[in-house]
Amino acid sequence: MLNISVVNIVCTILNLLILYIAFKKLLFGRLDEILKKRQQEIDEATDAADKAIAEAQASKKEYEEKISFAEEEKEQILADIKKQGYEEYEKIVDDAKKKGEQIITEAKHNAEVEASRTRDKYAADIKDMVIDAASKIAATKHSTEDDLSLYDKFIDEAVSSKNG
Amino acid sequence: MKELLTELLMEDKTLIHVPFGDGFFDIYHSVVVTWIFMAVVIALILFLTHDLKVHNISKRQAALESAVLFLRGAVSGMLGEEAAGYTDYIVTVLIFIGLSNMVGLFGFTPPTMDLNVTIALSVMSIVLVEAAGLVKKGPKKWLKGFAEPMPVVAPMNVLELVIRPLSLCMRLFGNILGATVIMELLKHVVPVILPAALSLYFDLFDGAIQAYVFCFLTSLYIKEAVE
Repeated sequence: MLNISVVNIVCTILNLLILYIAFKKLLFGRLDEILKKRQQEIDEATDAADKAIAEAQASKKEYEEKISFAEEEKEQILADIKKQGYEEYEKIVDDAKKKGEQIITEAKHNAEVEASRTRDKYAADIKDMVIDAASKIAATKHSTEDDLSLYDKFIDEAVSSKNG
Repeated sequence: MKELLTELLMEDKTLIHVPFGDGFFDIYHSVVVTWIFMAVVIALILFLTHDLKVHNISKRQAALESAVLFLRGAVSGMLGEEAAGYTDYIVTVLIFIGLSNMVGLFGFTPPTMDLNVTIALSVMSIVLVEAAGLVKKGPKKWLKGFAEPMPVVAPMNVLELVIRPLSLCMRLFGNILGATVIMELLKHVVPVILPAALSLYFDLFDGAIQAYVFCFLTSLYIKEAVE
């Protein structure tokens, strides 16, 4: 038990080294490979997630900008439309006014024409009647009484024809 | 009693007798037992690591991973950051000594009960400690390290080169020998039940503790050497 043998010491040292190499190659080496791969995958996944979050935030910002821009645009369009509508309204009212004035002018003119025509007609009627009366008077033998009755008759006729 | 001790201490350890060299090349019992459990351990490792996957790991792989990570974590904690590269060797030594101490459970004589094995282990340890210091500091600084903290203590520091491995080797040898002697005596006094209960302490607990102490001290020395 207590005797020392160099050969056995060397053998034990060799055993230990062989066991170390076996552990290193077969156990730690293989396991480290797996752990490294797993770590790599985790790192990649984390990176991808970070990237995705950054992208999402960027697009969110972009959309927000777009939305605020759209709001401005909407305001602008509404203002434009209002302005356009007002102009249109003005124009229509203007046109209507002009048309109305024109119609009034035309009506006035027509009325004047009508009036002068009616007047001309009455004048012609009176003229006919006067000629008629004159010819009747000229054709008959007459006294003062006859003349007076003729004048009365003429005036009656004239009044009745004007009223009729 | 004396016969028992004589039998234990003076038994012929030779298992494989080499016909030349007058017994110089004889292979001892302890070395052969070491070969046997090494073969078992390597076969076990091959079985445990034959189908490692990155995803959907089996229970076997999960157990292996957590066991290895636990051992590594414990050892690298003792070694510190600077000497973390020696973790794998210390883990190997831990498993080697632990198994050596526990083969008694299977009816073998523990290899660590042979002085030659503990000498080999402590020689490896002191070589590793000094090599670690030499690699880390360079030859000049390493030699200067013997004269620190003051040149007067240089002889003590040189003596430590012998004392450290000697204490490692004798502690391990003595503990395992003592445990075995007590167990043998106990078996003579109470042949049943009690030896089984005490075997739990002497073979498992003491064996694990001694393996841990050996690795702890070696780690401490390495840590000191690379600082």
